[in-house]
Amino acid sequence: MKLDGDVEILDGLPLLHIKSLSALICSDLHLGYEGVMADRGTFLPKVNLKNIKDIVKKGARLADPTTLIVNGDIKNEFSDVHVEEFNEFRDFMTFVTSETRIKRVVLIKGNHDNFIDRLKKPLGFEMHTQEATLGRYLFFHGEELPHSSAGKFLIMGHVHPSISIFSKIGAKEKLRCFLYGTDFIGRRVIVLPAMNFFADGFSVNTDQDLSRLAPIFAKGIDINQMEALCLGEGEILNFGNIGKLHNIEI
Amino acid sequence: MITQCKEPFSIEESLDSVNIFIRKWFVSKYKEPTPPQRYSFKLIKENKNVLITAPTGSGKTFSAFMSILSDLMNMSLAAKLEDKIYCIYISPLRALNNDIYRNLTVPLNEIYQDITLPVKKISIGIRTGDTTQSERQKQLRRPPNILVTTPESLAILINSPKFAENMSSLKYIIIDELHELANNKRGVHLSMSIERLANMIGHDFTRIGMGATLYPLDEAARFVAGYDGEKERDCFIVDATWDKKLDFTAISPVKDIVNANDTVVDNAIYRMINQTIKKNNTTLVFTNTRSGTERVVYNLMKRFKYSEEHIAAHHGSLSREIRLGVEDLLKKGKLKCAVSSTSLELGIDIGTIDNVVQIGSPKSVARAVQRIGRSGHSFRDVARGEVIVTNRDDLVECSVMLDAAKKHHMDSFTTPKNALDVLAQHIVGMSQTKKWSVDEAFYVIRNSYPYHTLQKQDFMSLLEYLSGMYVGLESRRVYAKIWYDSQEGTFGKRGKLTRLIYYLNLGTIPDEVAIDVMTRDNKWIGSIEEEFLARLKPGDIFALAGKTYRFEYSRVMKCYVDPAPGEVPTIPPWYSEQLPLTYELALDIGSFREQMAVAATRSLSRKSAISLLKKGTMKPNEQAKKILDAMPLNENAKFAIFNYFMEQILYAGYVPTDRFLLVEKTVDEEGERSLVIFHSLFGRRINDALSRLFAIALGEMYPIDVGINITDNGFVLVVPSSVKLSKATISELIKNACGMNMRLTLTQNIRRTEMMKRRFRYCAARSFMILRNYKGKKISVRRQQVNSQLILKAAEEISRDFPIIKETYREIFEDVMDLPRAERILKDISRGDIAYKIIETAVPSPFSHTMITFGEADVILMKDRRRHIRELHKLVLARIGKK
Repeated sequence: MKLDGDVEILDGLPLLHIKSLSALICSDLHLGYEGVMADRGTFLPKVNLKNIKDIVKKGARLADPTTLIVNGDIKNEFSDVHVEEFNEFRDFMTFVTSETRIKRVVLIKGNHDNFIDRLKKPLGFEMHTQEATLGRYLFFHGEELPHSSAGKFLIMGHVHPSISIFSKIGAKEKLRCFLYGTDFIGRRVIVLPAMNFFADGFSVNTDQDLSRLAPIFAKGIDINQMEALCLGEGEILNFGNIGKLHNIEI
Repeated sequence: MITQCKEPFSIEESLDSVNIFIRKWFVSKYKEPTPPQRYSFKLIKENKNVLITAPTGSGKTFSAFMSILSDLMNMSLAAKLEDKIYCIYISPLRALNNDIYRNLTVPLNEIYQDITLPVKKISIGIRTGDTTQSERQKQLRRPPNILVTTPESLAILINSPKFAENMSSLKYIIIDELHELANNKRGVHLSMSIERLANMIGHDFTRIGMGATLYPLDEAARFVAGYDGEKERDCFIVDATWDKKLDFTAISPVKDIVNANDTVVDNAIYRMINQTIKKNNTTLVFTNTRSGTERVVYNLMKRFKYSEEHIAAHHGSLSREIRLGVEDLLKKGKLKCAVSSTSLELGIDIGTIDNVVQIGSPKSVARAVQRIGRSGHSFRDVARGEVIVTNRDDLVECSVMLDAAKKHHMDSFTTPKNALDVLAQHIVGMSQTKKWSVDEAFYVIRNSYPYHTLQKQDFMSLLEYLSGMYVGLESRRVYAKIWYDSQEGTFGKRGKLTRLIYYLNLGTIPDEVAIDVMTRDNKWIGSIEEEFLARLKPGDIFALAGKTYRFEYSRVMKCYVDPAPGEVPTIPPWYSEQLPLTYELALDIGSFREQMAVAATRSLSRKSAISLLKKGTMKPNEQAKKILDAMPLNENAKFAIFNYFMEQILYAGYVPTDRFLLVEKTVDEEGERSLVIFHSLFGRRINDALSRLFAIALGEMYPIDVGINITDNGFVLVVPSSVKLSKATISELIKNACGMNMRLTLTQNIRRTEMMKRRFRYCAARSFMILRNYKGKKISVRRQQVNSQLILKAAEEISRDFPIIKETYREIFEDVMDLPRAERILKDISRGDIAYKIIETAVPSPFSHTMITFGEADVILMKDRRRHIRELHKLVLARIGKK
């Protein structure tokens, strides 16, 4: 799905492609998640990294980018770099540089990405601590407001957006989605869904307070004016404005 | 071989078989042995495995312990008694353990008063979760001769190397309250612990099972005795179930229960309970749920000004102190009335109960008999009880149930077979004690009755899972709980933390996050699950504990509602607290319906019948009277049953039975949903399977999600009213469903149901995949809650045959559902052995009301996910367009 001449969402994938940057953009990978959970007593089968690799591989095949931008939360643990996180991080970097034509990996640091500065060199990625302006795009993770006034197009992650749809016969379906708004003080905004396998997302159309999670929703963006672009199977479906999807029942 | 004992031994023979001091004490106390004792004294003396089923007050405790005490006394007198455990007694309840301890200690003290020689006395010890650390140390240094414990504590003890030594001379093992264990995973767990114990000490012991009514008896006996390789161990059955006389009646609180409103029925129920309380010294009231118990206590106090000194609640959610307090007051005869859900059903000593009142159907004949049997002090007394029904279906159900009890027709239990999650726990436990050869372990496991048919391949898949083969080598350090050498065919312990994982996470009862449901003026109504709350929107109507409420808002762990009497739920519950109706009883009800239908259709002309019904003066006709008079019912009940059948016949023209399936197409009150009601009275376990199959078949005919509502009496398919169903399409639906392979179709289609998610979470927790306690830290259920649907999906990526997934399907097909019987019924429908008739009604017929209001719900989603999301998209856009 093309958003304009330069930006598109790759069909059915939680990935953005920006032509002018020759870049794929993804967010909220939370690598090492299962390892961290195992340390806490939940022994999840390891599928997250594999699933992420599959997505990136598909994206690379479709768009043939040279850059990968991770818009925050490449790993999961706040307090340290867990050994499983390191292993998966390294594995992921090797994969990206050897199995795709991507040469450059840029990480916008998210709230989970503590203590990874020291990995920059050995693993070979670029890192921006708060936000980064690349071309006309301002990348930031989202737990804080962006500082820069540069950039016509804001790209954010962090909230793991999804929408919930209730049905009259009693079902509830949750769909991961991009949130897309065309007017934030004259700038456009897109929020990326989570890449993590186990993060089914935060329902933005039920009675939950999003502004506590991401201040941008308290200061400037009206979530109700944003569109939900949902991940279908192999396609992106526009469900329209969040304002009309509030607690929707069909 | 399993042998049913027919001829009791003579009193002399029975008494002669026990030690003289004990005999003297026994005769001075009880004069002569009770019926079960006249079998058991001698059988146990001869070291036979025995199953004893008998009602409260029949001297069950001494049936089991007499010969054991006698044996130990002989050892004591011959100075051969050592500080070793000779007998282990296991009951599912700690409270019962305390009783047993007291009931053995007091007699032993009295007996030893007669013995002037300086002898080593028989010692008794309790070991449960409540046992203090110092007491545990003491038991280790000086083990009691008789150890009283719970299944969970036993599972811990057999993993303690030091304690194992103390059990090396074990001679007897007693399982009490077998009916609470043999039909569930807790019992399966225990059965494996016992086999491991036998293997560990290297010799067998006498096995004694005790319980209330438990049929089929030979299955229960096999559960107690187990196997020795391929050979079934011998066991003798002593069945004294019916030695205590029962006197009971099904009572309709009002004359016209079909049309009376909730308030009138409630008022009448409480008035009746109060009358019974007043008439007797002590009354025991049973409800079917904990919230029901709370409500009854609250109402009795409020309505009749009883205080806490007169009436008390007793159920599993209450603290131990409160429960002990209530038991004590009962024993002292100080309480007028105790209200309980299940906790007082077991053999806890509660003194003399004059009368039992059961509110609503207890769902099985065995349970009805067990509960009513709590009244009357000894087996020589008559046990008296009343079953007060709460609605029309309840009335028919309870009437048939008590009639079956009168005729001694019992329903059957089943033991979960080859449960892989419970076995996973034991493999971890076993690996801690020694290095095992795979073959030896497999042999030991198959000696346990619930695992006798275990497939080697399933056992191997568990070894692979537990040794962490589903993750890469570098992660096994954390994931693996055993080491397993597939070349050498051996396995053993791995990891320092594993021992603790076993101790702190073993057990079979799943954790749930319960949300309290409150009225807005802060009255507690009951609880719902967190996942159900997640589906509620303000304004939704849902049923809880037999009433309907409107959801208003929720705050942390609390959900606030307004009463919405008489309204039809917009969201039915996803999980029922109620136990399912047993199959045997369902069939009995079906044939009762048939008789009543024949009788009722002989009635008057349609016109005069309607006029009589309207005036409320319809009385059972002669033929119906004959049937009803032979049943244990009050007059209101007879009247109400007849009226109920008449209304159904006049409205729908047909009465569904076990051989005649009525299928009713209708719409719900708001006209937003079409309903297809299957009046299939086969019990929830069968309807659970049938309903999903029919929903899947309908989903294949139309691109829709199909809602289902499941009850004991039938099931409902719910579809949007935009889907136009005709009699012809329903007929096609039935034909299509009949042509399906049920197991295969369900396996492929229930992946995304609520039931699958829930059961998978339980199985994952039991298999130590999701721990509740790790590294000594408790993990709240909330923290464990990674979306279970996603964990399931992740496990499927490993393999569709991942043992936890396999166990989830097994649990669903065999424990939750009764798939074999459901398959048989489907075959009967397709062959025409069960006839069916499709009718159309403007509003749901009388027999379907409770199905619509109180059914347990789920949804069969469209199978093709791409299509499903597209369909959602289309509907959402259409809906937004309208706004």
